[in-house]
Amino acid sequence: MTSRRDFLTVTGIAGAGLVLALRLEAKPRPGDAPASDFRPNAYLAIRPDGTALLTVPKSEMGQGVRTALPLVLAEELDLDWSRVELAQAMPGPDFQHLGTGGSTSVSTTWTTLRTAGAAAREMLVAAAAQAWGVPAAQCRTEKGFVLGPSGQKAGYGELAEAAAKLPIPKAPRLKNPAEFRLLGRPTPRVDGPKIVVGKALFGLDTRRPGQRFAAVLRCPVVGGQPKAWDEAKARAVRGVKAVVKVPTGLAVIADGTWAAFKGREILATTVTWDEGPHKDFNSKDLEARMRAALDGPADVARKAGDAGAALKTSARVVEAEYFFPFQAHATMEPMNATVQARADGAELWLGTQAPNTTQERAATTMGLKTEQVKVNVALLGGGFGRRSGTDFSTEAAQVAKAAGGGPIQVVWSREDDFRHDQFHPATLHRLKAGVDGQGRLSAWSHVIAGGAVLRSWLEGHKSPGQAETEANGAHDIPYDIPALEVAFAEVRVPVALGWWRAIEIVPNVFARECFLDEVAHTLGKDPLQFRLDLLGRRGKVKVGRNEVDIARLRRVLELAADKAGWGRKLPPGHGLGIACHAYDARTYLAEVAEVSVEKGDLRVHRVTAAVDCGIVLNPTGLEGQVEGGIAWGISALSSQITFEKGRTVQEGYDTFPVLRQPDMPPVDVHVVASAEAPSGMGEPPVPVCLPAVLNAIFAATGKRVRRLPLTPGDLT
Amino acid sequence: MPAFQLTVNGRRRSVDVDADTPLLWVLRDTLGLTGTKFGCGQGVCGSCTVHRDGKAVRSCQVPIKEAAGSAIITIEGLSKDGSHPVQRAWIEEDVAQCGYCQPGMLMTAAALLAANAHPTDGQIDDAIGEHICRCGTYPRIRKAIHRVAQGGVK
Repeated sequence: MTSRRDFLTVTGIAGAGLVLALRLEAKPRPGDAPASDFRPNAYLAIRPDGTALLTVPKSEMGQGVRTALPLVLAEELDLDWSRVELAQAMPGPDFQHLGTGGSTSVSTTWTTLRTAGAAAREMLVAAAAQAWGVPAAQCRTEKGFVLGPSGQKAGYGELAEAAAKLPIPKAPRLKNPAEFRLLGRPTPRVDGPKIVVGKALFGLDTRRPGQRFAAVLRCPVVGGQPKAWDEAKARAVRGVKAVVKVPTGLAVIADGTWAAFKGREILATTVTWDEGPHKDFNSKDLEARMRAALDGPADVARKAGDAGAALKTSARVVEAEYFFPFQAHATMEPMNATVQARADGAELWLGTQAPNTTQERAATTMGLKTEQVKVNVALLGGGFGRRSGTDFSTEAAQVAKAAGGGPIQVVWSREDDFRHDQFHPATLHRLKAGVDGQGRLSAWSHVIAGGAVLRSWLEGHKSPGQAETEANGAHDIPYDIPALEVAFAEVRVPVALGWWRAIEIVPNVFARECFLDEVAHTLGKDPLQFRLDLLGRRGKVKVGRNEVDIARLRRVLELAADKAGWGRKLPPGHGLGIACHAYDARTYLAEVAEVSVEKGDLRVHRVTAAVDCGIVLNPTGLEGQVEGGIAWGISALSSQITFEKGRTVQEGYDTFPVLRQPDMPPVDVHVVASAEAPSGMGEPPVPVCLPAVLNAIFAATGKRVRRLPLTPGDLT
Repeated sequence: MPAFQLTVNGRRRSVDVDADTPLLWVLRDTLGLTGTKFGCGQGVCGSCTVHRDGKAVRSCQVPIKEAAGSAIITIEGLSKDGSHPVQRAWIEEDVAQCGYCQPGMLMTAAALLAANAHPTDGQIDDAIGEHICRCGTYPRIRKAIHRVAQGGVK
């Protein structure tokens, strides 16, 4: 059994200074090497020149991990922030869990990074104390130096070699947050200077010697295959080198991206498709199947009391159906991967949230062992869950294998990106609320019908935790309701499904918080007070696998309402809407939106957010994530993917509108000071935003929007 | 014989490519200037924005035959060392998140400010409204442009 302390070891490399190996997951996982074979999965090195190198074990997609994680380390180490250098981890024996998602990067590494920094600092102090013949307790550290009681001063670099020979402290003293000098102050993103001069390298910027480019002609219908084609015209395009068959279609290989696109366009005019079994898949029929599924068997995600019986005996039942459409990720950087196939292995360069899975699947498809495949993780031009997928990297590996020769970059066009996304599934929600004779909410039922992302993720397998995963945001409803049932009725869909920014919590909290608002209005109650009454003063409450701190949720709700001036007199046509959620019981968030609806035009004037994510590492990063999450949420009110004849109707930003500058409201972020361990902020602002805006639309117009995307009819 | 001649970041370049090749791919694949980004190829996201004879244009919509003879500035040539006021303002406001769309944003912001030293919010909306940032950095883009206009860049 690996103990909590085993995560630090010293690696002695002569001349390398002090190298501490640290392990980011304290809990052993099935398949982990036993403790005696301990292999660390991240490294901190203090070099003789006094700089520190941290290998970042998470992917940067804009959420700020390459800034936040090193900050934690530098804080405990008392290192000069400008002397921290970063390297990106590569999957391998030392790095087996590089996946980035779920807003977990900070919460899962916080304690380990702090402890590593603190241990290294104590070892450097001990080395200095020994050299000077003074007690360690009389030494202190400041910006990369150890300072002795009589004015002695030594840089970390010169102490590193001696420090590496000392024992690792068993329980290094961590700083009290009041002592923080770096954390809690705004630190600009580390990659900013490179981004503004065009030198930040994303996957698509990979340029290897002898590199070729490829575009894959895929059947627009999922599962379809080319039946017949004529390569001659495509090959005649200047720059086109070859056309090769791969499992997903036909790859046109050229000496430039444009030639590959052009060759593919010509090839497309000659192809006959076998559209396969899903050629009639369409959104209309799917919705009918979803509606039917609401009446069929469903997997229970949470049950308390007997909601069915309570609804039957309720004095009054409010019932409504909510619909959330399929969504695309539409990252700004289209999918791409560069693969070099060699006789003895392969190398990939790409932006990915899943380096280990990328490595494993590329190896399998190329007939290689996992360790023969090297994966270089570039910056991600947007992730949002899309780059947790391995479809695009596995396909690129297939292209490189089929084509042979030097490195090949497979580039998806924007149309490819929409047509072949791993979509976030549409869901249909049936909600019922029972009200007793005293006007109190006594029963709640929320049934969700739709595709299961988790099944798609597990390559077709149904996990025992499927209902709970798909009902995230619905089953952990924090309100005190005596009888409650939340269930998921799976509807199989032929298209690949994937996680989206804030996953299923987006549609589920949209339905839950809008419906709750609806119940409040039906009962003639103020939506804020109704929520506060239902939260009560219960302390920590177990909901499913999570424990929600009701006091923290109340606090953000009250703070957002207060700062937004809840209850104030508004101009005609304006409305305020409120919503809240305890995201995985880790990040607490409430938002108030002020909107106006005039002549069919919706304007979001301001969103006021109150957040509690524990200790704040980097306020500028945090506020940026709240602004960005709110942009994502507002954007989601207007976009959808629909299917006709087995293919997406939308294939560009013209038909899948994304929020732009003129529609971005000012966002006020209010942070609750907290001593709790830090949590994530990449996803949590999203789900609360949709119901806040939609509830505000109701307040402004008296029209309840239960179906997205918004239509002109919703705004008249 | 090289087919097309143009000036890129002050340097005369000759490129031998098909006449319909978009400037974007000439920059990225032929000249190795990957700072200019491919976002949509449909002229609607603005990621590929460069300056052509001082005006912001979508390089994915300009075939090389039209770009020939003109002076192109890309993000790599906006300044020698990242010292253009918009670049500095972008750092000071910590604008970027993933950063992919930002070269295009910066090129448009620089062109806007060159033509209009004190743009209004509406004028910023008009110019930046032609771009997409999926991370939602819009509030900070606005602040950064105002910072330059107000001479607030350090």
